[in-house]
Amino acid sequence: MQSSNFSLLNRDRVSGLIFLVVCFVYGYQTTQIQLFPGDEYEAFTARTLPYLLTAAGIVMSLLLIVMSPNSSCPSNSCEFDSSDEKHMNWKLLGAFIVLMTAYGFGLTWLGFVLATSLFLMVGFWLLGERRKAVLFGASFPFVILFWLLLTQALDIYLEPGYLFLSLLGS
Amino acid sequence: MLDGILIGLSTAMMPTNLMMVMVGCFIGTFIGMLPGLGPISAIALMIPVTYGLDPSSGMILMAGVYYGAIFGGSTSSILINAPGCSSTVVTAFDGYPLAQKGQAGKALALAAYSSFTGGTLSAIMLLVAAPALAKVSLSFQSSDYFALMLVGLSAVAAFAGKGQVLKAWMMTILGLMLATVGIDKGIGVERFTFGLTDLMDGFSFLLLAMATFALGETLMGILKPEKDTAGAENSALSEIGSMKISKEEIKEVAPVALRSSILGFFIGVLPGAGATIAAFLSYGLERNLAPKDKKEEFGKGSLRGLVAPESANNAASSGSFVPLLTLGIPGSGTTAIMLGALISYGIQPGPRLFVDNPEIFWSVIISMYVGNVVLIILNLPLIPYISKLLAVPRTVLLPMIIFFSITGVYLVSFNTIDVFIMIAIAMVAILLRLANFPLAPLLLGFILGGLMEENLRRSLMISDGELSFILERPITLTFTIISVLVLVAPVLLTILNRYRVKKAKLVEKVG
Repeated sequence: MQSSNFSLLNRDRVSGLIFLVVCFVYGYQTTQIQLFPGDEYEAFTARTLPYLLTAAGIVMSLLLIVMSPNSSCPSNSCEFDSSDEKHMNWKLLGAFIVLMTAYGFGLTWLGFVLATSLFLMVGFWLLGERRKAVLFGASFPFVILFWLLLTQALDIYLEPGYLFLSLLGS
Repeated sequence: MLDGILIGLSTAMMPTNLMMVMVGCFIGTFIGMLPGLGPISAIALMIPVTYGLDPSSGMILMAGVYYGAIFGGSTSSILINAPGCSSTVVTAFDGYPLAQKGQAGKALALAAYSSFTGGTLSAIMLLVAAPALAKVSLSFQSSDYFALMLVGLSAVAAFAGKGQVLKAWMMTILGLMLATVGIDKGIGVERFTFGLTDLMDGFSFLLLAMATFALGETLMGILKPEKDTAGAENSALSEIGSMKISKEEIKEVAPVALRSSILGFFIGVLPGAGATIAAFLSYGLERNLAPKDKKEEFGKGSLRGLVAPESANNAASSGSFVPLLTLGIPGSGTTAIMLGALISYGIQPGPRLFVDNPEIFWSVIISMYVGNVVLIILNLPLIPYISKLLAVPRTVLLPMIIFFSITGVYLVSFNTIDVFIMIAIAMVAILLRLANFPLAPLLLGFILGGLMEENLRRSLMISDGELSFILERPITLTFTIISVLVLVAPVLLTILNRYRVKKAKLVEKVG
């Protein structure tokens, strides 16, 4: 390792290795696909294309590992390089992924209106919005209008959350 | 053909469809003006909306969004040097210097008129080329289709950015792999479902498109925050100057628009090439063709330098509809999404579309022209007002886009598992973006995977398992040779370049 730009295990090679593992797992799973009696005499089975893809995938990943130059971004042709990483806000992205996952659970438990309003409000707040008028004004009223549009105008049934169903006892 | 045009006209001119074009252009322009969100994301966000419409209206809406997004991208390129999508990067080369000289109004008007010219000429060419190609392709058999899909997939990889060819191939293979998940349509056995009932139908196209583009791009915006450009755009718009163009200027740029439109259309027709390549090539061509004094203006606010990419990228957008409508092969990531939407409607794109659903075929072509008219009549004067919408701060806009992406998928299946799968795919998409893997080939592989397998199965069954089917039909053989050439060419070029560099170094040393 001479510098951050020179590395045998650069981003391309790591990507190639991961893709190689994915291909091996895909190839193994291909062997688990059910075959019917007599399929061995067929020209084309459910395993044919997956086998071809496994082989092509392995060749491509090996090519990437072998042909990759020692610097991930040899000709400044990459969309992102290591200098971009300094400006990346991983914490904020993590918070949003947690928020989106919570929103997924919220849709089941709290229902569309409450879950979406809370999702938007927390989302605005995470991005730095602190004005109460925006935090509350752009979440609850907007979601209620959207909910009315879906349920009343487009006649789409949206289940109330489990929480409300258990509270109301139905 | 006249019957078809009349069917298309009557469908496209229906009040609902006219409204769809206008709404599409308006929404597309707005989304296109947001840096980071391109036409693919704009169209992906529209898919859930189009599910409630009939196929013609849905396709018309998406076509409108496509044009609008490219137009919106040009606007932000000219005003603040922040291209909304890759195809409008070249527009900024001369558009932004013009805006800095206080001629933003003229630049915007020229961009709109060039787009209109490109769109109009290519719509006419499409009108002639598409039915002719559709008729020829009616004679295609399974083996021809299989080989044609190979051309489409290999071309997309070949046109990937510098140093990304291998990665584009890998993404195509990953897309094909994802397409094999679920119950095999030919034999009926489960593949890669791990016993999960949610995976039996395979991945939803909408989910994959939303997760990789709309959600993926928005999350990238959160990970790598860009400058909030709303204020800059608004202040730039407050002093855009006159939108008038003189007769001399029109005389100067008219041949440029004509040449670039024709070039753009033919590049758009090629699978995998597209608006970005068309814009770059036409810009280069015009710079070479320009007289010496005009050549020096390029990059400093040349009218020719603005008109060329704008005409070409719009013409290429229309051109990319040719392989989509006639062969069922998408020419770009955007048309790949449209192909997926057509399949979701239960419509089989390809030569039969021309025969079985002429109203869709023709109305999309006619609506392209209507879309261009809408852009020039409505969107150009409305630009200052549309950009006011951009005054919505990013702190509000980004969670809203995430909400629309998630809800778009949730409201189709009403299954929260889809939300979790979407989040997981979006995370993988972010990692792939960070490793500089292009995502459009993944989507293309996924969409074409099912069709490709079906045609390969049929071809092999007909030829009794012999690969000789490749050699038996001239069309199959031609397409196979083209795809092999397209696959091998980038590798050969790389080797050739390395050899040249080595040779040059040797000469230097000896010298």
